[in-house]
Amino acid sequence: MDWTWFHKWGSPKWFYELSGKWLPWLVGAMFTFLLIGVTWALLFVPEDYQQGLTNRIFYVHVPVASISLAFFPLMAMSGTVFLVWRMKLADVVVKVAAPLGAWFTALALASGSIWGVDTWGTWWVWDGRLTSLLLQFFLLLGVVSLRTALEDSEGAARACALLSIVGCINVVVIKYSVDWWNTLHQTSSNFTLAADQANGPEIWLPLIFMIVAVYLFFAISLILSTRNEILQREKRAQWVMDLVAKS
Amino acid sequence: MSAVRSTLVGAVLATLRRDLLIAYRRKNDLLNPFMFFVLVATLFPIGVSPEPEMLGEISAGVLWISALLASLLAMDNLFRADFEDGSLELLMLSRHPLYFLVLAKNVAHWLVSGLPIVLVSPLIAYMLNFPEGAYSTLVLTLLLGTPVLSLLGSIGVALTVGLGSRGLILAVITLPMSVPVLIAGTLTVSQTLEGASLSGYLAIMGAMLVASFTLAPLASAAALRVSVN
Repeated sequence: MDWTWFHKWGSPKWFYELSGKWLPWLVGAMFTFLLIGVTWALLFVPEDYQQGLTNRIFYVHVPVASISLAFFPLMAMSGTVFLVWRMKLADVVVKVAAPLGAWFTALALASGSIWGVDTWGTWWVWDGRLTSLLLQFFLLLGVVSLRTALEDSEGAARACALLSIVGCINVVVIKYSVDWWNTLHQTSSNFTLAADQANGPEIWLPLIFMIVAVYLFFAISLILSTRNEILQREKRAQWVMDLVAKS
Repeated sequence: MSAVRSTLVGAVLATLRRDLLIAYRRKNDLLNPFMFFVLVATLFPIGVSPEPEMLGEISAGVLWISALLASLLAMDNLFRADFEDGSLELLMLSRHPLYFLVLAKNVAHWLVSGLPIVLVSPLIAYMLNFPEGAYSTLVLTLLLGTPVLSLLGSIGVALTVGLGSRGLILAVITLPMSVPVLIAGTLTVSQTLEGASLSGYLAIMGAMLVASFTLAPLASAAALRVSVN
């Protein structure tokens, strides 16, 4: 089997150039999907008969929350690649994904809270989903602070890769145990996602647009911060100096 | 040096024996987690309410949280002294798999810091007006749960052993990971009081123990190889 495609990922320079070519397309696609999704969701989707206009935050909250669940698997995968093949780029991804993931998780919690204040009448309940997301937020901050605390970059990289793998397993365990805890202690029936009743295509099609837009936004943020980190790490390399001299 | 080559079991037993002996000689380390557990549990009646009914309702949670914090505090001793005097490096240079040696250290550490807490918990539970009829469940869950806390904590300790001041970062890494154990422990106790069958809950706690017993030392050993160069 030909492994050159794989080994190319070991070169930060190659990734930098390739991602530079992708970026305009990704940004263009994101804005297209975002524009269609936002206009559709905010202006044309019929109002929820119970929640009224508040329900429209659904179109922000669901994509953001779903992408925030992808961070630990992403970091664990990159961490494994780094530990096994010592690929520098994988460590860059582990490093930049942790704070990014914390932001997305915070965004999911915040948008959920804003939604909750109108539908549940409170900013916060100790519901299974909310609690597990909050704990994931703490775990991500733990990875970030471990990275800051260990100054030695090689050691920090391996430690963070390891913690990401452990954290990924743990997020799954937390998810199940918290659901278990919550279902036994369920006190109110309106904890479930309320939009499930009679959801025809006019409800979920704009959601698809928003999900694609948010996934593209995630990809763009990840690529941009990865490029930034690559430049910082390779600042003594000739190609970076050439790049700086050109600009 | 004797010419006899040590066996794996011999190495594990020697590590266990050494750690227990050190703990026995340093009686402060032996007493501190225990004292901490009792002190934290004492803070709750003072801070929340001395009403027996209120205390009885929260007592299972109080005991579990106190045990969690005490185990976190005690974790710091697991590798630090060995790291500072270099014996940890010798342990890693041993031709035996680090996995088993770390496991031995974990077991010794739990015997010293976890078991006393489990043993004293009925007394503290009584002082907190713990509901009658769940004492045996409480002790059983702590017996199954505190080793899991130690095993999970040892991953965090191994990751941060090279750091100067790591109290807080250890907590930030370890506490979220301990949540499933906390949930399982307190749920089991509250289910006993409601008269539910315990076998399922205990099976889950047992599964947690088995999983962390087999997997956590793997992560701890890998983390030690990262931290100690």
